[in-house]
Amino acid sequence: MFDWFKYFDFPAWFPENVSTFGAELDGMFILIWYICVAIFILTYALLIYFLIKYREKPGVRAIGYHGNNMLEFTWTILPTFLFAGLGIYTDSAWEKTKNVSHIPKPDVTIDVMGQQFNWVYRYPGADGILGRRAPEFKTNDNIFGVDPKDEHGKDDFIIETEMHLPINKNILVNLSAKDVLHSFFLPNFRVKQDALPGSWMKVWFNGTKAGKYEIACAELCGASHYNMRGLLYMHSLDDYNKWYDEQTKAKSEQLAQALGTTAPTADTTATPAVTAGGTTEHGK
Amino acid sequence: MEAIASAHEAHHDHGDSHAHDHHSLSFVRKYIFSNDHKVIAKQFMTTTLFFFMVGGLAALLVRWQIAFPGEPVPFLGSLLPEAWGGSTGAIQPGFYSQLMTMHGAIMLFLVIIPMVNGMIGNFCIPLMIGTDDMALPTLNMFSFWLNIPAAMLLMGGFVLESGMATAGWTAYPPLSAIQGAGQTMWIVGLFLVGFASIMGGINYIATVLNKRAKGMSMFRMPMTIWALFITAVLITLGTPVLASALVMLFFDNFLHTSFFIPTNLLATSALDGTNHWSGGGQPLLFQHLFWFYSHPAVYIMILPSMGVVSDVMATFARKPIFGYKAMIFAIMGIGFLGFIVWGHHMFQSGMSPLLGTTFVLSTIVIAVPSAIKIFNWLGTLWGGSIRYTAAMMCAVAFVSMFIIGGLSGIFMASAAVDIYIHDTYFIVAHFHYVLFGASIFGVFSAIYYWFPKMYGKMLNEGWGRMHVIWSFIFFNLTFFPMHIIGVGGHMRRIADPTVYDFLKPFQGMNAFITWSAIGLGFTQFILLFNIIWNLNYGKKAPRNPWRSNTLEWAAPPHPGHGNFDTDITVYRGPYEYSHENRESDYWPQWVPPTEEEIEAEKLNPSHAH
Repeated sequence: MFDWFKYFDFPAWFPENVSTFGAELDGMFILIWYICVAIFILTYALLIYFLIKYREKPGVRAIGYHGNNMLEFTWTILPTFLFAGLGIYTDSAWEKTKNVSHIPKPDVTIDVMGQQFNWVYRYPGADGILGRRAPEFKTNDNIFGVDPKDEHGKDDFIIETEMHLPINKNILVNLSAKDVLHSFFLPNFRVKQDALPGSWMKVWFNGTKAGKYEIACAELCGASHYNMRGLLYMHSLDDYNKWYDEQTKAKSEQLAQALGTTAPTADTTATPAVTAGGTTEHGK
Repeated sequence: MEAIASAHEAHHDHGDSHAHDHHSLSFVRKYIFSNDHKVIAKQFMTTTLFFFMVGGLAALLVRWQIAFPGEPVPFLGSLLPEAWGGSTGAIQPGFYSQLMTMHGAIMLFLVIIPMVNGMIGNFCIPLMIGTDDMALPTLNMFSFWLNIPAAMLLMGGFVLESGMATAGWTAYPPLSAIQGAGQTMWIVGLFLVGFASIMGGINYIATVLNKRAKGMSMFRMPMTIWALFITAVLITLGTPVLASALVMLFFDNFLHTSFFIPTNLLATSALDGTNHWSGGGQPLLFQHLFWFYSHPAVYIMILPSMGVVSDVMATFARKPIFGYKAMIFAIMGIGFLGFIVWGHHMFQSGMSPLLGTTFVLSTIVIAVPSAIKIFNWLGTLWGGSIRYTAAMMCAVAFVSMFIIGGLSGIFMASAAVDIYIHDTYFIVAHFHYVLFGASIFGVFSAIYYWFPKMYGKMLNEGWGRMHVIWSFIFFNLTFFPMHIIGVGGHMRRIADPTVYDFLKPFQGMNAFITWSAIGLGFTQFILLFNIIWNLNYGKKAPRNPWRSNTLEWAAPPHPGHGNFDTDITVYRGPYEYSHENRESDYWPQWVPPTEEEIEAEKLNPSHAH
């Protein structure tokens, strides 16, 4: 009977949360939501009551009343404390999610680059270290601007659109854009950060559930902005390491082919990309 | 009966006391390049209502594409050129971006700002402070006429094969810096709109400070004038910053400088195919400069409507506005704080999170004066004797919608909560509640309230109420569901939400929003018809149809150049409604007190100003 009521229950419409800090952020939304509903009911009740009670009636005259300073004072102070309290209360979550000095020690560090119109990801390869990058090396063949002289950069591998990460690990994303502004939006992880050409932003999250999730661009970036969809596969650690080893192997074979020799396969399979204990083989 | 004396007759009777004699003016100087603030207000009204339709049409096309992606537009689809409508007449993604950009830019810069300032400001300021015209009438004329080439440039891409601007109304570089000729023209057009806006702002400040009638002290001015005055200050201080940002953006776009372009940007200019910028710039700089203007601009768009609503409420509740000085200080507070909150548009932009915390606090402080205004409006209704005219219903709609728009603003004021809802439809819902639900309803209220003075004809109250009620219903059906899809994560400015799996469940709601928006669009024809019909066949307006206190009602209906047919002296504040010492429930500012009233006041001093 009250089926339509669901339309007024905003918190029920969130997509599933699969990140460690998502529940806290959603909780803050829900807190503000309840405060707003309370204020809404209070003000609308007064408004509607006044509109009906004080409608024009023959013989009844309005009160020539100009105001009351005590009332003005009260309704200045109360919202000030309420709103200031909210601001201070929600600040801790803001610091935790966005402040660079609060980022936990990363287990996986990757580079993500937005370009018209897809997402490109750079993984550190077998040595676990991302090669050095600088803007002067940026070309259309080297959109990340990796220093060609840096040995760590040689085995880095780049994939597009589909991104793979392990669950229950702290992920650090270095985020930038190639051409125009983009915004890295992971709805299920409650992550959103604009990608700025010329700057590298640090974004972190920790996913709790394996599965396939969507990556969206949330900043207008041109005609095909709507189509800049990426996919994020969250794997268990074993599955992730397996995928990672395949990628590093493919990369080393590719490198070897370029050099005209066979790949030294032993190197790449020896070390798992991320160990179960959360040590940081390739956390920079 | 003096009340139905037309402006024409009034001028014959009293023309000698006024310097201007409009009979000596040619048709062109009288109706086209006129210095008369009322003619300029009417010109603003005509153009803004026209652009309101253009911007509304763009909105409906945008909505059609979102709700029914890839389906041909009914009726209009076959008219679209291949580049915009493809082979079937369905909106192409590039055309979608143009429409979305134009909807935003037209509605903000060519509709709301000129409506609340150009139309309401021009009409009300000289009349409500009791003077014959603006302080700088010729500048006033230019401030209107500059809008015409500006608007043509803003939409100039319409005639180009490469199309109109596509970078959104915010025109963030680098995207706006690498767009083609339509974008370049848009930048120049917006610069000129800003220039016109500054001309108006300076004029309003000069007029309010220098041309008030005898006895009209600052604290006897109606709320509309106070709001317009503070708005003019905001325009004068804020718009030059936007202008500077636009000049730099123009250089980046046209001359390939690098104010906003970082080193080694891998992009190609659609204007001339170059892919070389010297680099070293910072895209965030534009956002800071842009929002330094555009956040105060939010208040430029709503403060005058707040003033109008205060006056309309006092008139139709037959009550003094509750807390007159508190309302003025609230407006001043909003005006000042409006300049230190711009960063809340940039929480997720890459700006330092520490700065984000600062802007959270200042943003939260600015919610307080808005809350004060809400409570004061409720206080004004309390104990009133409310007449539900169309103007009053608009004012009530304003307050109720502003409550929702204000509350939804709390969510995004918190940087942490903003992470998820930033750039989603939750934001779109929020600012449409404030800009349409509040600002535009304030403008409707102003039209219903002042039309009798503006044209000397009454609008049809029944049609007016019909327009307000249906606008209110369709408005809520259109924009309330946007909160829901916003919470669901629906991004702004995407041409086809069905690309994303997580948005597919909302497609039904998107269709519902679109049908409601179409309803909202067609409802506006009631207003248009009401205006056009009653311009020709409307009842003649009496001098003071609403039994109001403020000075404009002392002027004849449809006043000529020079405004007043009597000398105006102000004896009291604008809100002496239902005064306890008087039999009549209003006490106009210009009516001298009688001997008995002076005696009664001595015996029973009221707390009047």
